[in-house]
Amino acid sequence: MMKCNSMNSSRDPLAEILRRWRVTPPAEPDFRSSVWRRIGRESRATWSVYLRPHAAAWALATVVTVSAAAYTGHLTARAQVRADREALVVNYLVDLDPRVQAVFKSPAP
Amino acid sequence: MKYLVATIIVLVLAAAAAGIFSYRMSCEPMLHAAAAKGDAMAWLRADFHLTDGQFAAIRQLHQSYAGTCEEHCRLIQEAVRARDALKASTAADPSAAAAADHKLQELRLTCETAIARHVRQVAALMSPADGKRYLALVLPKIADFDHTVAPDLRLNHPH
Repeated sequence: MMKCNSMNSSRDPLAEILRRWRVTPPAEPDFRSSVWRRIGRESRATWSVYLRPHAAAWALATVVTVSAAAYTGHLTARAQVRADREALVVNYLVDLDPRVQAVFKSPAP
Repeated sequence: MKYLVATIIVLVLAAAAAGIFSYRMSCEPMLHAAAAKGDAMAWLRADFHLTDGQFAAIRQLHQSYAGTCEEHCRLIQEAVRARDALKASTAADPSAAAAADHKLQELRLTCETAIARHVRQVAALMSPADGKRYLALVLPKIADFDHTVAPDLRLNHPH
């Protein structure tokens, strides 16, 4: 076993170099504060910053949704007007039409 | 995520506002109020843009027609009673029953003609466009009315 190890170390200088290798990066005094600055920037991203990349999709969604809602409102109102007018025409004619009044005034069977 | 939710909420609110605004713009509050009160004369005044003079003349016309209407109503009731009595009698004469039916149909036709004449007089008091619209609304109903009087209406009417 000993023999095997001594053989490896004598044959592989790379292992020896890696063992001795030490990385000493230059100290960056601003590192910590710059990280916190980036975190702060992300958390303060505005609504417009969020919307900008999706502007086309949101604009399309807005146009479709608002148009559909407006059209539905219009149709609902027109249906209401038709129903009201129908009821009023019937009400009006009931007062004018003796055929209907004859039914109303005749004694119930 | 919070901006996505907020955007969806804003979109829903905008859609609701657009729907409500469109509904308000398209509905006719005076018509709705008249329908809620069952006030046909208020409807006539609002829907056909009657001036005070036109409205008074139409009201007068309706009042003068009321007598004709009463008389027709009485005659129809009598004819119905006579026909029903004939049909109910055991020794019913088929020809007499048919004659009674025929008389009733004649009375109804007379009545229909009188109402049509009356509403044409009313339409003549309106502006031409409104008069035309009024007749288009009312005349088809007069023709259909005889067949569409539901027996349960009897319970709801103040007469």
